[in-house]
Amino acid sequence: MDPITFSIIRHRLYRVIDEAVITLKHVSGSAITNEGHDLMVSLYRADGSLLMGGVGFLHHLTSAAEACKAIIRRFEGRIDEGDVFLTNCPYTAALHTSDVYLVAPIHYDGELVAWSACFVHVYDIGAMVPGGFSPDSRDIFTEGFSSPGLKLVSGGEMNTDVMDTILNMVRAPEMVALDLSSMIAANNVARERMVALVDKYGPQPVDQACQMLVDQSEQSLRERLRELPDGRWESRQYFDIEEETYRVLLAMTKKGDSLTFDFSGSSEQSKYGINCAYWAAWGGFFAPLFPLLCYDITWNDGVLRPISMIAPEGTIVNCTRPAPISLATVGAIQSVNNAACVCISKMLSASEKYAKEATAVWHGSHFAIFMFGQNQKNQEAIGIMTETFGGAGGGRSFADGVDVGGEIPNPIGRMANVETTESHFPVRYLFRRATGDSGGPGKYRGGTSLEYAIQQHDSPDGGIHYVVSGKGTKFSMSDGLGGGYPGAPCNFRWVHNNDAAEAGKNVNPFATSLDQMTGEQQSISWGVFPLMDRDVLYVRSDGGGGYGDPLMREPDKTARDVREGSVSKGVARSVYGVVLDAEGGVDAEASMRARDAIRAQRLGQEAAE
Amino acid sequence: MSTRISASLVVNEQGEIACMECGHALGPAGEPWKQAARLSQTPLQGAAGEPYSNAANVLLRRFFCPGCAALLDSETALAEDPFLNDIVHV
Repeated sequence: MDPITFSIIRHRLYRVIDEAVITLKHVSGSAITNEGHDLMVSLYRADGSLLMGGVGFLHHLTSAAEACKAIIRRFEGRIDEGDVFLTNCPYTAALHTSDVYLVAPIHYDGELVAWSACFVHVYDIGAMVPGGFSPDSRDIFTEGFSSPGLKLVSGGEMNTDVMDTILNMVRAPEMVALDLSSMIAANNVARERMVALVDKYGPQPVDQACQMLVDQSEQSLRERLRELPDGRWESRQYFDIEEETYRVLLAMTKKGDSLTFDFSGSSEQSKYGINCAYWAAWGGFFAPLFPLLCYDITWNDGVLRPISMIAPEGTIVNCTRPAPISLATVGAIQSVNNAACVCISKMLSASEKYAKEATAVWHGSHFAIFMFGQNQKNQEAIGIMTETFGGAGGGRSFADGVDVGGEIPNPIGRMANVETTESHFPVRYLFRRATGDSGGPGKYRGGTSLEYAIQQHDSPDGGIHYVVSGKGTKFSMSDGLGGGYPGAPCNFRWVHNNDAAEAGKNVNPFATSLDQMTGEQQSISWGVFPLMDRDVLYVRSDGGGGYGDPLMREPDKTARDVREGSVSKGVARSVYGVVLDAEGGVDAEASMRARDAIRAQRLGQEAAE
Repeated sequence: MSTRISASLVVNEQGEIACMECGHALGPAGEPWKQAARLSQTPLQGAAGEPYSNAANVLLRRFFCPGCAALLDSETALAEDPFLNDIVHV
């Protein structure tokens, strides 16, 4: 095939996905999809293997391939033009029940030529708690509707009995219907554009180009791996749920042109829904692998071929049914994301050529808050506080992490503005801003996180409730790199307006910081809590990991950080060894002495044992 | 001619892992090197300002070059957990 035609077809495939994503967003009505971009659309080969990975949460690219393959197995001989299938079973392919896959075959002249697949986190799935994150579930049976595969649309006609059954099992069915409709629309657009592509170039040339694309990706990744040194790199993630501590351990071995991700030694599966199943762990390390190692390689099945995984059954990264799993995406999967980011970045750091691609961990812990209740328009409001997608960038070998800079596993993740959230939920923000001293110190510091506080406002029920499913309150999850410190942990506070608060000292409705709140404060991280009357929910997210030695940071940069509120004077002095004068400028001599003192202190430490 | 093996370490011409800043040797290539570094092991809680204050029981381990005091690597750990060891073949 001539290279120009190949290149045109390749770019058309990208555009097919782009247009399908736009369609999905235009039809969906939920903030998590439109504002947070918790979504994904990709294209697959006729056998279900990944052809062209799209944008959104990248761990879904490979899991949706398994969804396509599962549908092919289950519906063999019954896959027809115009069908759309649904699966959301985590033990089949999905990540958790809330992330519903709709996959659709694409036929040309009666022949199956490809699949499209997409997901959104649906408005509700009928779990114990509205929104799908179900901290009190102890098995998957209480985590909502779950299907290993069903035909939602048959030959272009909606199977209304199936649709109505689903909608009968969820809260806010009109919103869930919109979510499902958005995915049907996205698949329809993908199919129409793919058929147009095949119509223009012919089925055989398009098939040939697709095969070349997959082979090209495999070849390119193998070449890249051969350029990198062989070795074995380790990382470790802790996370805390209630009083229990879990570990995700990863040893990544690179030999020649292959990579193995070994999760042996990770904690046994949990009674809480933070577990993930096999295909979720598989997708979990591809989420950072795609952008870090394959930033210029098409994300498809060719990238998967040099990679293998060891995930012992019965562990937190490969749990067995019926273990609860509803919080997998903010639990074990994110730890797999982080652990893989660390190992891949350490491998990249071992190469002169690729060291600049390495990064400390971005946004190690989702600080997911799911709100539910009646809003000021007397509508049932369910949804996530999209600040959870705000994130914080990790430091790199040439630059600081981006403040509130998102996350690696979702390159298009974002958060809603305050006004959008206040219009959807009966809340008002007391403040929302970047948090000082939250980025991990380093030659290049981690990006700062954000903090916000909300109260109920104009609620017909006197308030609203929320689900907290936060890990990372006791442990930093955004690891540093090359000596850089980890980012600061998360923090969730319930500020009570209750009898315990002294008269006249109830929560200050005009507080602009946690310190100014006079009500009794309670640390929370797991469960369902009220936001009633004048209660306040305070949330602080985790900062990005730092890169390199903080004593190597240019003092002027730290002075700027202090001026901008990113770093306090105390941390500038004690961690960076930077002393500022009365005008906020660097006191060069004092800083030199401070750094010398810190170095002397370092050498006075006991030798490693 | 030294060969880079991490953000802070190289393997020198003698086949030893060495500090990228000062060249201080930390042991043979292909072996764990952290035993040869200066270790600081302190609660993460007090590491770098108020936002770290709710970290509980977890340690910040920092590994310094015995030659120039450069910070070579860091990791968080519970006390009972071993060092994370990376092996690079050159």
